[in-house]
Amino acid sequence: MLACLCTVLWHLPAVPALNRTGDPGPGPSIQKTYDLTRYLEHQLRSLAGTYLNYLGPPFNEPDFNPPRLGAETLPRATVNLEVWRSLNDKLRLTQNYEAYSHLLCYLRGLNRQAATAELRRSLAHFCTSLQGLLGSIAGVMAALGSPLPQPLPGTEPTWAPGPAHSDFLQKMDDFWLLKELQTWLWRSAKDFNRLKKKIQPPAAAVTLHLEAHGF
Amino acid sequence: MLTLIWLVQALCISLTTASIDELLHSCGHINPPSAVVQCGSNFTAVCVVKEECMDFFHVNANYIYWKTSHFTIPKEQYTIINKTASSVTFTNIGLLNTHLTCNVLTFGQIEQNVYGITIISGFPPEKPKNLDCIVDEGKKMLCHWDPGRETHLETNFTLKSEWATEKFADCKPKHDAPSSCVLDYTIVYFVNIEVWVEAENALGKTKSDHINFDPVDKVKPSAPRNLSVSNSEELSSILKLAWSNPYFKTVARLKYNIQYRTKDASVWSQIPCEDTASTRSSFTVQDLKPFTEYVFRIRCIKADGKGYWSDWSQEASGITYEDRPSKTPSFWYKIEPSHVHAYRSVLLIWKTLPPFKANGKILDFEVTLTRWKSSQLQNYTVNDTKLRVNLTNDRYIATLTARNLVGRSDASVLTIPAFDFQAAHPVMDLKAFPKDNMLWVEWIAPNESVSKYILEWCVLSDKSPCISDWQQEDGTVHRTYLRGNLTESKCYLITVTPVYADGPGSSESIKAYLKQAPPSKGPTVRTKKVGKNEAVLEWDQLPVDVQNGFIRNYTIFYRTNVGNETAVNVDSSHTEYTLSSLTSDTLYMVRMAAYTDEGGKDGPEFTFTTPKFAQGEIEAIVVPVCLAFLLTTLLGVLFCFNKRDLIKKHIWPNVPDPSKSHIAQWSPHTPPRHNFSSKNQMYSDGNFTDVSVVEIEANVKKSFPDDLKSLDLFKKEKPSTEGHSSGIGGSSCMSSSRPSISSSDETESAQNTSSTIQYSTVVHSGYRHQVPSVQVFSRSESTQPLLDSEERPEDLQLVDHNADDILPRQQYFKQNCSQQETNPDISHFEQSKQVSSVNEEDFVRLQQQQISNHISQSCGSGQMKMFQEVSAADAFGSGTEGQIERFQTVGMEAAIDEGTPKSYLPQTVRQGGYMPQ
Repeated sequence: MLACLCTVLWHLPAVPALNRTGDPGPGPSIQKTYDLTRYLEHQLRSLAGTYLNYLGPPFNEPDFNPPRLGAETLPRATVNLEVWRSLNDKLRLTQNYEAYSHLLCYLRGLNRQAATAELRRSLAHFCTSLQGLLGSIAGVMAALGSPLPQPLPGTEPTWAPGPAHSDFLQKMDDFWLLKELQTWLWRSAKDFNRLKKKIQPPAAAVTLHLEAHGF
Repeated sequence: MLTLIWLVQALCISLTTASIDELLHSCGHINPPSAVVQCGSNFTAVCVVKEECMDFFHVNANYIYWKTSHFTIPKEQYTIINKTASSVTFTNIGLLNTHLTCNVLTFGQIEQNVYGITIISGFPPEKPKNLDCIVDEGKKMLCHWDPGRETHLETNFTLKSEWATEKFADCKPKHDAPSSCVLDYTIVYFVNIEVWVEAENALGKTKSDHINFDPVDKVKPSAPRNLSVSNSEELSSILKLAWSNPYFKTVARLKYNIQYRTKDASVWSQIPCEDTASTRSSFTVQDLKPFTEYVFRIRCIKADGKGYWSDWSQEASGITYEDRPSKTPSFWYKIEPSHVHAYRSVLLIWKTLPPFKANGKILDFEVTLTRWKSSQLQNYTVNDTKLRVNLTNDRYIATLTARNLVGRSDASVLTIPAFDFQAAHPVMDLKAFPKDNMLWVEWIAPNESVSKYILEWCVLSDKSPCISDWQQEDGTVHRTYLRGNLTESKCYLITVTPVYADGPGSSESIKAYLKQAPPSKGPTVRTKKVGKNEAVLEWDQLPVDVQNGFIRNYTIFYRTNVGNETAVNVDSSHTEYTLSSLTSDTLYMVRMAAYTDEGGKDGPEFTFTTPKFAQGEIEAIVVPVCLAFLLTTLLGVLFCFNKRDLIKKHIWPNVPDPSKSHIAQWSPHTPPRHNFSSKNQMYSDGNFTDVSVVEIEANVKKSFPDDLKSLDLFKKEKPSTEGHSSGIGGSSCMSSSRPSISSSDETESAQNTSSTIQYSTVVHSGYRHQVPSVQVFSRSESTQPLLDSEERPEDLQLVDHNADDILPRQQYFKQNCSQQETNPDISHFEQSKQVSSVNEEDFVRLQQQQISNHISQSCGSGQMKMFQEVSAADAFGSGTEGQIERFQTVGMEAAIDEGTPKSYLPQTVRQGGYMPQ
């Protein structure tokens, strides 16, 4: 998992600063990131339904609302409104970026556990999409001139299948992962909507030119 | 035997082994060992032969030669590098895929292959162009490109794609579709992806331009599903559409195209795009026609227009709700003959409303009839489109309304005028013409205000009655087309009737064709009259059923059996034509073609022969000929009648009966009977039948020499007159071929003299003289002269006086040639009297005809010869000797009659030498 995260984080800084000459600004990419979060939200809704069904009752019951146990390592999306409002753009983006970096790693673990091929395909697609979101956020951050956060060596996500977890607790972790993802996507949508409104795009169509020299 | 087979097999095996051995140990090699060459470039191959082989075969590099697929390459392309190596160079290589072999000629002639390589030429790949991708919703992304020119080599394309943060797996096109590739991962929207194509073959490697796009902008959404149409009872002009959007709606906003058409139409109308530019799942279409079935379809695309339009949805149809009829029905009437006195049978007719005017299902029609100036109403509810009513001769107002589920149409009002109404004011300048496969009618409106026009038409035919169809046009219309099932090449009689407020106006009619065609039958031509040089042809007008158009003209073709055909154009109004300048007695073939605007048709061929003679020509020939013949016959008869005595005498001679002769005394010297036909027998024949006895005194007068002179004069002319001896008189009764008395000098023989003497019919003189003294009797066939002499003693006496001094008398037999009943002496005497007042010469000329008559009356059979000549002379009007002689004789007689003392001597006496001695 760590390797996974590290890989992601290792690659992302390699994304060079966006070529801003003649660039209309970060507006379009913000919009695109916003659209992607909305799309992922939608995607996750169906994926979560399928996955919770796979987990079985009581996880697939609509009113199932377990306490958040064992999922402390998951980045929390819920935040005090005042705190959220007080966040600046860079911080907001950084939080998003860090959260999705972690969540993606956890999700990849989920993918490996999934039983059915269809579910694995859906999870894989979602992972790819989420990776795309990470790239988008990185792009926006680059466009806004904020550096990408470096991976912190000590903060290794504790999401690892092991004997320490019972099957139920494992499922509980999966449940919370999906729930936290959903919350994050919701929050991200709000973040990018806010950011979008803040930075009105001067031009309509802009393409983000990313140079993938690092690959 | 077996041993031999074994030996052969062993030999074969050993040889095969040897050759394999040789192959395994190649004698040399070619450098390069294989070649892929670019077209248009140069290529050089070097063949190096091992020295041991060279030695074995006793050859060197000069013996190396190159072949490509069995064709030896010219030596000019070779280069001897050293003793064991030779190279070949190809310049500007074209397209090829061939084997190049290096060979040596061993022992001067045996080909030995040393080595071979394959050469393939082609092109390096071109840079792929027009790379584009499409994401079919629910499927994976497909990218396609233009690979450029054919390389003729195996070329590999690789589609590469990457995010800014991640590289995706390469996409290799399938063999059957080398210029497109489907990416095998599920695409992620809203993250830009960079895509390019790399192409590589043996001659090079290239890659296309990179394209960077968000896959969401390359999406072709699924077509909207479950399109449904529903109508509204409140509004008959709207239909509501509803559909299910594709899943892509959750990814991006959509816009739509909604198209519709009426069920029977083929062209789609489209709802304005701005009305459907946002994501939705229903739409209300307005401004539709009531009670009309519409068909709809819908498609979608990403709202910003990026990407591709989805396919059209399945079509869905719906019918707008009914509305009240929007138009009044066409309404007209016909008056039919009625048997009831003071009533008219009126057939009211109307048309069902077309669906777009009926706006629903027409349930029934309501007809109301109102008598003029009366409140009496007659109401009828009819499901049919006609109503027969009996009306009085008064004026009526008829109204008609159509009813459907929703309501009634406006009323259509028609005035049926009174019985004695006089229609007037027709339309003017009515025209009908086909255009765009429709029959148009055009007219100029009358000056009066027209409420509507009624157009009626029917097919004119001799076979079937004119069943008319009709239509109604508004009063403002002055040009329309006939809305009916019209047939081509049928003659339509179109009638236009303007309808005024007080009743219909006068009708105008015109004939027209929707489309003309050549007549289906040609006219049958026949002759009315055939003349020698002309023929009058006639034909009947073609029946209207076969005309197929307006007959514009006819063409008459006629020809003889051998001659060229002649064509004559005849105006269509004619039914008769005269062919002139024909050849008589010739067979003519004539046929006739009738032409409409679209062509013509030949009729059957008719054959006639011109007669040899024109009418009346035969009559013109025959009648005059007959008349001439008749006249001739008549003249002949008349002549014969006039000369009946002569004829009678000639044919039925009057034989005197001797027993009845008073003075008959048979002379003992019977003179030889006169033979008409033979001079020699004239006197030898004792059978006298036609002889009179004449006695002539040879009395020489004082004037005698003159007479002689004149006679001589005439004698000289005689030869010229000889030919004229066959006059009418001569031919009719004087057919003797004997020479006339004056035929020649030599013929002035005794017999001639006797003829002449017999002309000297001074029978009475002779007779007179013989009476007392000379008893010379001659047997006379006729008693007439004798009787005559007896009957006319005075005459005889008179002559006697004059001839007293004539001595001696000459007596001779003379053939009595005339019938004595005609009393020649009298006529002779009369003629003599006539000439008495003129001098002798004049007398001679003037009295020719008379003399002729005289002669014909008085001459005897023996005189005929002379008469013949005389008559001929008369006919030709020139004097002859004979005439003169006779004239003189006459003159003598005249002189006797006048009592003039003239020498009297028959000229014949002088001529013939019968002068009295």
